[in-house]
Amino acid sequence: MTYYLVTFVAGFAGSFHCIGMCGGFACGLGRDPRGYAATMLRHLIYNSGRLTTYCFLGALAGAFGQIVCTRQGTTFTLLGGSVDIADRILAIVAGVLMIMMALQFFGLLQAFHRLTVGFGGSTLAMSLRSLMTARSRGAPLAFGVFNGFLPCPLVYAFAAEAASTGQALPGFLTMASFGLGTFPAMLMMGGVGRILAPSWRRHGVWLAGGCILLLGIITLGRGILPLGALMPHGLLGRHAA
Amino acid sequence: MTPSGGSLCHHCLLPVGVRSLHQTVNGESCVFCCYGCSIAFQVKNGKTEEWEAAWLLIRLGIGAFLSMNIMLFSLLIYGGVFTGADARMLPIIDILLLILATPAVIILGGPFLRETLVEGTRGHLTSSALIVLGVSAAYIYSAVAVIESNAQVYFDTATMVLMLFTLGRYLEAAGRARAARDLEPLLAAERENVVVLQNGIEVVRPMREIEAGMLVRVRPGERIAVDGVIVEGMSRVDEAVITGESRPIEKDIGSPVIAGSMNMEGLLLIRSNGSGTATRWAQICRSVRDALIRRSPIQRLGDQAVTIAVPGVLVLSALTVTYWAQSLPFDRALLMGVAVLVVACPCAVGLAAPLATSLGIGRLARHGCLVRDVGALEALARVRLLAFDKTGTLTLGKARVVAIDTADVSIAEVLALAAGLERHSEHGLGRAVVNAAAERGIGPILARNVRAVPGRGIVGHIDAGTVAAGNLALMRDLSLPVAPGLAKCARRAEASGHSVIYVGWGQRTHAVISLDDTPIPDGRAMIEALRARGLRLAVLTGDLAPAAHRVSAALGIEDVCAGLTPEDKQAALDRRRWSREPVAMVGDGLNDGPVLVEADVGIAVGTATDLARETASVVLPVGGLRLLPWIIDVARAVRGTVRANLLWAFGYNLVALSLAALGMLQPIIAAAVMAGSSVLVVLNSLRLERLPEPAPSQLPERVSSAATARSLGVPIALGAATERG
Repeated sequence: MTYYLVTFVAGFAGSFHCIGMCGGFACGLGRDPRGYAATMLRHLIYNSGRLTTYCFLGALAGAFGQIVCTRQGTTFTLLGGSVDIADRILAIVAGVLMIMMALQFFGLLQAFHRLTVGFGGSTLAMSLRSLMTARSRGAPLAFGVFNGFLPCPLVYAFAAEAASTGQALPGFLTMASFGLGTFPAMLMMGGVGRILAPSWRRHGVWLAGGCILLLGIITLGRGILPLGALMPHGLLGRHAA
Repeated sequence: MTPSGGSLCHHCLLPVGVRSLHQTVNGESCVFCCYGCSIAFQVKNGKTEEWEAAWLLIRLGIGAFLSMNIMLFSLLIYGGVFTGADARMLPIIDILLLILATPAVIILGGPFLRETLVEGTRGHLTSSALIVLGVSAAYIYSAVAVIESNAQVYFDTATMVLMLFTLGRYLEAAGRARAARDLEPLLAAERENVVVLQNGIEVVRPMREIEAGMLVRVRPGERIAVDGVIVEGMSRVDEAVITGESRPIEKDIGSPVIAGSMNMEGLLLIRSNGSGTATRWAQICRSVRDALIRRSPIQRLGDQAVTIAVPGVLVLSALTVTYWAQSLPFDRALLMGVAVLVVACPCAVGLAAPLATSLGIGRLARHGCLVRDVGALEALARVRLLAFDKTGTLTLGKARVVAIDTADVSIAEVLALAAGLERHSEHGLGRAVVNAAAERGIGPILARNVRAVPGRGIVGHIDAGTVAAGNLALMRDLSLPVAPGLAKCARRAEASGHSVIYVGWGQRTHAVISLDDTPIPDGRAMIEALRARGLRLAVLTGDLAPAAHRVSAALGIEDVCAGLTPEDKQAALDRRRWSREPVAMVGDGLNDGPVLVEADVGIAVGTATDLARETASVVLPVGGLRLLPWIIDVARAVRGTVRANLLWAFGYNLVALSLAALGMLQPIIAAAVMAGSSVLVVLNSLRLERLPEPAPSQLPERVSSAATARSLGVPIALGAATERG
């Protein structure tokens, strides 16, 4: 459970970073003239669209991890427990990716940042603007769904993490808790429609970076360290669900 | 929906063919070649206030939302989450999936179903039919299974196949639009509006309303839409589209500008000197559009393959289901049949050729090289023999004075009198005489009552009596005898291929002016570059042998055939055709028209005259012969890309089809694989964007554009004259 809590916190803190891009969208969705409840509903629909995409990506990444791990079948026994080499490689790759993403949050690895964000995302975002003002109930949902696919280092980081879990369910849960973590800030952006003070945003970004860095190190550790030495699967209660 | 085989897709600018899709976007009636283009166009250009564009995105978004939820549940089911005690949840989840899948299938599958039905009523079976059949099989089977509470459902297959195909078509269309970016200015020219200054007020007017004398405003970064003269402002312009040469040329008040050139720096006001639709630029644009609409032989082959493939795949799919149903449960066998249907969608095959060829044509057109016909580009890539006409092709078609033989008068006197006559002449040889006098600082002696004698020369009067410049017949007509020494000089000059002008006044002929054509600059480098590409080269000319040999030797071509009539040229070309390899003829497009038509590829150089009358399938700009090696490179690259695409598309389809028939491919994976294959074909074609630009010419930098005006205006008349001489 702790694991998912950390993910949730990372999502929550990271969403302050998201305010730059996705927050703009949330503001763009604006208020519904039919009142506060309608506005809230509009933003909930938008966010569930986003969440669906995240969950889908998580489950897909988890299933992918599962395929990679079971196909290899190079399990051997070490210190009384079975270790899968593919599992470890996956964990190392995911861990390194997460650490790199985390470093971006502290303003490092800018070239990598450009690579991940400048992936044609802005063109897509521009073209999706027509959805923001459309008055249909479905429009915020559709917008949320596409928004979820916009290139974002946070999403990449957690998708990598989801893949390293090696199963569809924990992958899904990882992304779900991350997605839920982004809810409060995004709802607030939509509801309040006011940009937070820059200092707050900076703190949020650092907190998010810290969480991702922590998760990245744990994941990397799972790949590198001998089994049971430091981070057994049970420590963070990941598979408790 | 009407068949509109003659138009281009609004989005990717490929010909729409018979399978066109008509839609209203932003209040404008648009035609698209496929579903993907319609999505991509609306995503890119749909205006916020237009309901239709937003509605399309909403539909896709909701479809994606539903199918992702279905996939999510299915992944969890496959991952073994609902086993053991949780297994009792399964029937409820199945019903939930049915509820989610039904709208998803309707939303995402609608366009595919519509295409199938529309084409079906026209008697065509398209690849959409395969998707529709595969998806409905998976959906109907699963729906029945839910009602009967059977074990396994495949809603994820039905919806994800639709999702992936929609995504694939969108990505493919988005990639194609990148190719269209090159062609866009060429095709937009006819629709373009220009800013006209009327009574001091700027008014936007459509191109077709532009007439001579109008003042047109051109901003920096804009394309100049009219031929004309600058009346205000100064700038540098890039005339690559017309001259083939991409370099900034300084322009000032009074400099002529050509339609199609790019204004790079300053704000210009241009006085148009003709109608907006009569410029060479407008003709280039029309010609490119015509070329794109024609289908190449290789393209037709691809289309035929698709026509045959679809029924074949249906049969194969039925066989697969029948075969596997004997040994496996029916649902597994059905899934394999669906995989066969989905994986065999021959979209990539249909896409293999047109994208690459339009990229190639667009690339060439941007440097002023027109390909009138896609087939010509294909043939050009296979050409092994290039035959050149001499005059106006390997030579500039600009005569210059090389010798003046006189009998007891001074050269200065001859030139002064000849120039005085010839300055009234439009004849190219005459202009060479005027230039020669000017170069030597000799002022012309003005003559009165100057008149041209057709086919003979020019005659006028000075104080000493009649003065004439022209051929021998003119001298005889005017009873101006030629001294034996002078006649011998003239015969010698003519024998070596020079053109000759006799100049006589008073009682006899006093001088013989010999003129020769100049070989093109950069010619030798061009010939060597062509030879390095494995081409055999020949010169086939109607000119005299000595002149032909002189030019050929200067350029380094050994195979020379001189003194040929147009029919002889054709025969000579056929003799040189070793096997069934295509041969190309390069000429000026006027006096060698018949040969250009007969050759597999006729290449005309520098005909600024009406392009519509051209007989050649490839037209190069004035002085564009140096681009020939580059053009061959582009043609070969295009052909290589098309072949690689076809090989890839066919090979990929065959391998995937076999795997699917053997039951080794999941339908969802098959759909992803298929969508990926089309995207790969697009990406492979887009590699053509990275072809190198043509090498810049070795000519010194042009500063003013007076030279441009000359080279555009006069190229041909003189060439013909030299041959007669």
